[in-house]
Amino acid sequence: MHIHRLEKVWLVIGVVLLIVFLGVLGIGAFAMGMQPPTGGHTIDPEKVSETYPFNNPGLEQIDDNEYNAYMIAYAFGFTPAKMEIPLGAKVHFQVTSPDVVHGFQITGTTVNLMAIPGEVNHYTYTFDKPGEYLVLCNEYCGAGHEFMATTIIVK
Amino acid sequence: MSRDRVEKNKEHSLKGTLASVLILGGFITLTWLGVYLLFINR
Repeated sequence: MHIHRLEKVWLVIGVVLLIVFLGVLGIGAFAMGMQPPTGGHTIDPEKVSETYPFNNPGLEQIDDNEYNAYMIAYAFGFTPAKMEIPLGAKVHFQVTSPDVVHGFQITGTTVNLMAIPGEVNHYTYTFDKPGEYLVLCNEYCGAGHEFMATTIIVK
Repeated sequence: MSRDRVEKNKEHSLKGTLASVLILGGFITLTWLGVYLLFINR
């Protein structure tokens, strides 16, 4: 098969780009253990407030400066309403919803999950910068969607 | 007749195509890098 010389040039560039993009994805997934937030952790959405650990949402220390953060996104707010996280803490977020699909985004960070009724979504983040972090719902969830926000204070 | 045939088999210039492919490829690479660096820095 005859391929034009210039065609070979852009084919090589395209294949190299594909290898780089997929390589970064593969290294993240298989070598660094990055996974999508949803992964088979289920919960009865009608019994969220009675089910451990969401019967007592908030921070739970599990190690020296390492915490689990259990949060509920509901129409139209977040529980707990305010949370203080120590500077430098590694926080494993676990988020669910008792009603409809919500978003859980901590602005300025890579924490951006969906809160899905029946699912508990996980994400780990280390807070290296002090300050007030705005938490927003970024999935339209109903008439009060725009009021659905909270703050996380890192100090 | 035979001359026409030779003309048809001659390669077209693909310089313009190469340029547009590189511009599009550059755009995709730059936006990908931008998103990747944002993710890394947050």
